[in-house]
Amino acid sequence: MKHVLLTLLTIAAGFLAMPRAADAHHGYAAFDTTATVTFQGTVTDFHFTNPHCVVEFDVTDDKGQVQNWKGELTSSAHLAPRGWTATSIEPGDQLAITGYRAKNGAPSIWITKIKMPDGKELKIDTAN
Amino acid sequence: MVFAAIALAQAGEEGIPVTDPLVIAKCGACHTRDDRGNMQRISWERTTPEGWQEALKRMILADGVSLTPPEARSIVRYLSASHGLAPEEAKPVMYDAERRIHVETSIPNDNVGHACARCHSFARSLSWRRSPDDWRQLAEMHVTRLKLPPNDEAVAFLAKAAPLHAPEWTAWSARSRTPNVAGRWLLTASILGHGKYYGEMQVDPAGPAEEGEFTTNVHLTSVNDGSSLVRTGRIAVYGASAWRGRSKGVSQGNQSASAAADDLNSEVREVLWIAPDQSTAEGRWFWGQYQEFGFDVKLRRPSAGPALLVVDGSSLKAGSQTNRMRLIGDHLPARVTPADLDFGPGVTVRRIVSSTPSEVIAEVDAASDAALGKRDVSLLHSVAPGAVAIYDRVDYIKVVPDSALAAFGDLRHGVGYQQFEAIGYQRGPDGKAHTADDVELGPLGPNDAAWSIEVFYAAPASSTDYVGKISTTGFFTPATDSPNNNFDVWVVATAKNEKDKNGKPLVGKGYLVVTVPTYTLGGRRYVRDLDRWIDEGPEEK
Repeated sequence: MKHVLLTLLTIAAGFLAMPRAADAHHGYAAFDTTATVTFQGTVTDFHFTNPHCVVEFDVTDDKGQVQNWKGELTSSAHLAPRGWTATSIEPGDQLAITGYRAKNGAPSIWITKIKMPDGKELKIDTAN
Repeated sequence: MVFAAIALAQAGEEGIPVTDPLVIAKCGACHTRDDRGNMQRISWERTTPEGWQEALKRMILADGVSLTPPEARSIVRYLSASHGLAPEEAKPVMYDAERRIHVETSIPNDNVGHACARCHSFARSLSWRRSPDDWRQLAEMHVTRLKLPPNDEAVAFLAKAAPLHAPEWTAWSARSRTPNVAGRWLLTASILGHGKYYGEMQVDPAGPAEEGEFTTNVHLTSVNDGSSLVRTGRIAVYGASAWRGRSKGVSQGNQSASAAADDLNSEVREVLWIAPDQSTAEGRWFWGQYQEFGFDVKLRRPSAGPALLVVDGSSLKAGSQTNRMRLIGDHLPARVTPADLDFGPGVTVRRIVSSTPSEVIAEVDAASDAALGKRDVSLLHSVAPGAVAIYDRVDYIKVVPDSALAAFGDLRHGVGYQQFEAIGYQRGPDGKAHTADDVELGPLGPNDAAWSIEVFYAAPASSTDYVGKISTTGFFTPATDSPNNNFDVWVVATAKNEKDKNGKPLVGKGYLVVTVPTYTLGGRRYVRDLDRWIDEGPEEK
């Protein structure tokens, strides 16, 4: 399985030790950062946790097929000081989610922007 | 020693004199002593036993100090008492000594965090109390030795947040005495994946020549299945509140090499915090390659009256009848009537099924309109706070820990395992899940939840054995052959009986990162510690 091979290691250079392994810990290597995509999705779950917060959401394609996607954010430790809580996103929320798709075709995305139904954007720290 | 050349007057700050002859003899050659008894650096620092132990190690390894093990123990004991932390100062940083993975919320901002908490926990910084001058000298050491950039903000923050002289320390110093832990203690413990235990501990002085050291004998019984554990150990008490020691199960001597890693008879390190009134103590007994296994332990002194320790059966469904509740305690009355028991409004004690001095079994009804939420259980004058939750339905499942680490092994490093539990929750009075008022209902057993793992970015339904396996009890074991890679994994608990509003089984997920034990980068070798990577120096060729 080609997971991001310790892309977090690049952070290590110059430091005595790396950041905590439980903090946001990998970079964008698994994602295609050359282009962003935007999905209209319905949230099925939100995990406010370390090392990454994760939004699970259903996307319905043109043929009416529903696919469940997983969107990663930075850690809850980074988002909490910016006002995020475990209920900032809730199941059933209709969101416009923008980000980088996984290179291997998996239904995963690195989230760079979340727009709520009222047009407001959630403040995202894109640090990884 | 290394700071001998830094002959700095600690202007404006009264030091704490050093009076111990051994410290003076062993440290005085470099840490010069003034006419008030203040020794350079030492007199302007206070810390935990672990802090002083680390300092001594550094002096021995880096500066050639020669100490026998008894001398080192004696010095740590003296400094932990005379230059230690008050109980109130020690408690907030106990998670560091207890080797718990902990989200640190005491870091004021990223700048201070980068200065202190990239290489070690922030608690390690806050485990020390120093004069402003001493914090500055520590920062200078970080600049010169570790090549870190100067950070005046971190120095200013620590000088204010962790001062040498603090009200807690002044108050404790006035009544300073080493806690006397000898005698009988009542004990409760919980172990992830194994549930609650209760029992007692007998603590005896180790001998007249070993002041401050004690032997321990522990008998524990599982609330879940009645199995027993017997453990013996040896502990020492340092300063105001530090209980430190080791213990192991009595069957340890017969333990085969193939014993399970999570064997509850394993040898453990005991780290407890003793409350200022010495009537309670709490902490963790832990073991494992990454200290991933542990008993969460609470001790309390017995009293002449009845003491409730544990209530077996942590939740009652509203509208349910003839629920059997087992109350476990010490010195319980020989004869108990339903009127002696109180579960709060809406819960009626039908009858007492049986009672002994250590256990009462009662049959209770929960009214359909009983108020939802946690409530105390009392037996005469003994109260078990928040021991039982009244609920209407299980709203969601939470996998704990919700964020965890495991590790592949190699020739030099053992495997890092992880035990998970699935906990049922009710949404609480605000009607919203995942908020502070949610009510914990207790763990789901193997008959109530099925466990599986999902590897991030993997194709659906593909094998996950290359990362590891999870047992029917939620115990994750990494693959034997390290794939030389890190993996992000969902640990999924699927309820067998509880459904969501759409009729689908409730599902809870925990985020597990499975790491390699070590790697090299830029010619340097990094090794995983508790929850971070430690630079072990140049790569071995």
